[in-house]
Amino acid sequence: MKDIIIPGRRIARELWVLAGCFAAAVCVNVYAILRFHTAWKELITTLHITLAVAAVFYAVLALVRALVFGLMRVFRGKVA
Amino acid sequence: MDSEFSPLASPAPQGRAQRREFLKRLAVVASSSALLADLPWWTPLRAEPVGNSPADRVRLGLIGAGTRGSFLLANLLQTPGVEIAALCDDYPPHLEAALAKVKGARGFSDHRQMLDMPDLDGVLIAVPLFLHAPICLDAFAAGKHVFCEKSLAYSIAECQAIADAHRGSGKVFQIGHQRMFSPVFLRALQLVRDGRIGPITQMRAYWHRNGNWRNPVPASGPDPSPFPSLERRLNWRLYLDYSRGLMTELASHHIQVANWFLDAHPVSCAGYGSINYWKDGREVYDNVNVVYRYANGTQVVYDSLISNRFYGMEVQIMGPEGTIEAETGKIFSENPPPAPGIVQLINGIEHGFFSAVPIGGPSWVPELKKDTKGSYLVQDQSTDDGTAISMAAFANSIRANKPIPGMMEQACRSGVSVLMGHNAMEQQQEIAWPEGFRE
Ligand SMILES: NC(=O)c1ccc[n+]([C@@H]2O[C@H](COP(=O)([O-])OP(=O)(O)OC[C@H]3O[C@@H](n4cnc5c(N)ncnc54)[C@H](O)[C@@H]3O)[C@@H](O)[C@H]2O)c1
Repeated sequence: MKDIIIPGRRIARELWVLAGCFAAAVCVNVYAILRFHTAWKELITTLHITLAVAAVFYAVLALVRALVFGLMRVFRGKVA
Repeated sequence: MDSEFSPLASPAPQGRAQRREFLKRLAVVASSSALLADLPWWTPLRAEPVGNSPADRVRLGLIGAGTRGSFLLANLLQTPGVEIAALCDDYPPHLEAALAKVKGARGFSDHRQMLDMPDLDGVLIAVPLFLHAPICLDAFAAGKHVFCEKSLAYSIAECQAIADAHRGSGKVFQIGHQRMFSPVFLRALQLVRDGRIGPITQMRAYWHRNGNWRNPVPASGPDPSPFPSLERRLNWRLYLDYSRGLMTELASHHIQVANWFLDAHPVSCAGYGSINYWKDGREVYDNVNVVYRYANGTQVVYDSLISNRFYGMEVQIMGPEGTIEAETGKIFSENPPPAPGIVQLINGIEHGFFSAVPIGGPSWVPELKKDTKGSYLVQDQSTDDGTAISMAAFANSIRANKPIPGMMEQACRSGVSVLMGHNAMEQQQEIAWPEGFRE
């Protein structure tokens, strides 16, 4: 079986994307706390929900990126 | 989840050693909580742990070794310091099956002979309802301590006769309403007295099953006498000569809880019953609906049927601040703390996406049942229903020779209430609490 090699740069990029998604999820949580006048401790007590939201963001972003990447390949092929 | 109600820790007893440990822990609970310590029937559980000396041993006899009797026997065999010295049943297959479970116990077919045993401390009575009073009275006359299965008796006059015989006898009397010893119900009572649901404004209880409520009857068998047939012996609860049907056999448990939580007996009741499904020759109603009225203006609404089990059984204790569903073992706040902001946001988005926008629909929101999860009253859901603890309490009371105060009052209140309900349905009129009844 062929080994798949993921370059370190790629891993670092994905980790940054993931961190960005987490930061976005925390922002959503802050917005929800302000919007519904709930307690700030929810930033900690609902961490599991924040992580789940971050995972959803990451998955949606991965789909968008795959779509963009695919379209770009199609266009590049046509130009060549 | 409403997190403001902390559940009571409760262990589940299994082996004999664990049972001993369980009772010790209960004794600690009983004495550490002001309210539980107040409950008279917990006093025997606070007694010294049982030793191994013969003086610590309580010698008991069981009268009636049918379904319930067998369950009591299984519990007694696990109770420290109890010796099952005698078993009595006038139906040979049941007596033989029970004797096979207890080494060295003497067998009887007539309870009077068993009551003649001088070294027998007490008896447990688990016979059909119409025999409760005659056997209780014989047992008191023989100077024995008595545990009688619910419901107290077949008629109000018999309830009075048992109470009168017990008064001044100095003997222990206990009734088979195990919810009085259930950690779940005790926790519920504690929360009610702490004002967690506000004053009780209504109670609702129901017991729904879907089945004919019959025991299988063999084509031939031992002589059924004194019953006229094996059918009547084995299915006594379906015939009015022996039972009052759903009221005495099922409702008595929940009506006892109602009287206990409201700390009163009903002043009157009204209701209807009929046989609308199981038209198979039975004489007792297969569906009953009774409303009990209490002096403080509270009503208890009870119904039972055996042709639909969707709602199962429940006792709902309602007040302006919350609801307790004691059979499920949960408490629900009327104003539960709001869900976390992020959950509210997600729910809002979900509803925005997936709910249809009503056009020209009703302008009111239907007041459907609240969908709050509530919180459990005790941590361990596999806990004893109270039977095991009640057996230990009975044995401990006998050992200490101290009757449990308030027990006969509980037995009379529930026993009389369900008979009032039966009479109300039979006579189709409001029935008042019997004037001059002495608990
Ligand atoms: N506390 C509870 O949760 C609970 C549950 C079930 C039954 N019960 C009560 O227990 C009692 C018995 O009910 P069950 O379901 O075990 O009925 P059952 O018919 O299974 O058992 C009754 C037993 O009593 C015996 N018996 C009848 N006449 C007798 C006599 N004169 N002397 C000795 N034995 C006699 C019968 O042969 C039978 O073995 C009833 O009062 C019932 O209401 C209480």
